[in-house]
Amino acid sequence: MSYEEDIRQDTIRQFDFLKDSFKVIRPRRLSAEVARDRFSEVFDFLVHREKFNTLCTITGTDEGDDLGFIYHLAREGGITLNLKTRAPKADPVIRTITAVFPGAEIYEREIVDLFGARVEGLRKGSRYPLTDDWPADEHPLRKDWKSEENK
Amino acid sequence: MKFIRKIINWARIKSPWILHFNSGACNACDIEIVAALTPLYDVERFGVQLKGTPRHADVLVCSGPVTKQIQDRLKRIYDQMPEPKFVVAVGACACGGGVFKGCYNVRGGIDEVIPVSAYIPGCPAGPKAIIDGVVKLLASLEETEKPSVPGAKKQDKTEDDAGTAKQADPGDAP
Repeated sequence: MSYEEDIRQDTIRQFDFLKDSFKVIRPRRLSAEVARDRFSEVFDFLVHREKFNTLCTITGTDEGDDLGFIYHLAREGGITLNLKTRAPKADPVIRTITAVFPGAEIYEREIVDLFGARVEGLRKGSRYPLTDDWPADEHPLRKDWKSEENK
Repeated sequence: MKFIRKIINWARIKSPWILHFNSGACNACDIEIVAALTPLYDVERFGVQLKGTPRHADVLVCSGPVTKQIQDRLKRIYDQMPEPKFVVAVGACACGGGVFKGCYNVRGGIDEVIPVSAYIPGCPAGPKAIIDGVVKLLASLEETEKPSVPGAKKQDKTEDDAGTAKQADPGDAP
């Protein structure tokens, strides 16, 4: 059995609800989707037990009623995993991962500014990457956002 | 006094020191500006030298659109330059925003923030276009001073015909 398949089996043994969404896309590329309320434990398991010890970036997506957050994790052997979670736009709150990856702070701030998510546990600081005088209720990477000129 | 002014203007035209500032460019125009400074194109034959600080510079050579984060810094660098000062906008983005116009993080062209003396279009503007723009800017300085010098030889340099560089009145720089 391949290494990727080992990781998949290990994870599914621990969390059987991941059976359908945990996929080996192609060699060295894995993807999984997890509900928001189970995210922390799955994330901790993958980072600490499956040794996904590198965070490449966090991607935000606007999917209509939901916001999607894709955590791109990597580990030894060139294996990367796209761990996805969603939060409804009405309640766009996710937990911070800065306790595990301190460098994730700027990715989370980008998600806060550009998608209007709220990150629980993120320490207070200046806003990034938008300017300080940017209106608080405008998030330029949401699909329904329009620039001044296109309004 | 006229004589001294003449000397100062002569010196200014013979050695315009420039400061290169990237206000959000993709780096293509910066490469072309640096290429223009190399011995191959050799702007130093016009006395142009790249300086490391705005306090030594006469000409601010800007590339790229002005992002919202950098507009205050660009203004501050412009304010630090001694009078008289000139701004050259290099590239399509610096002239009017280019492809970045309307982006959430972009204010627009250089002239939205500081007065611009010469516009050099192009994506990227080539070294030859940059040199042409700078030389036209210098030539225009020469012309503005001409009438105050009696008995000076008339230059038969024509005003540029809507080409590479557009000339604003250098006297209106604050």
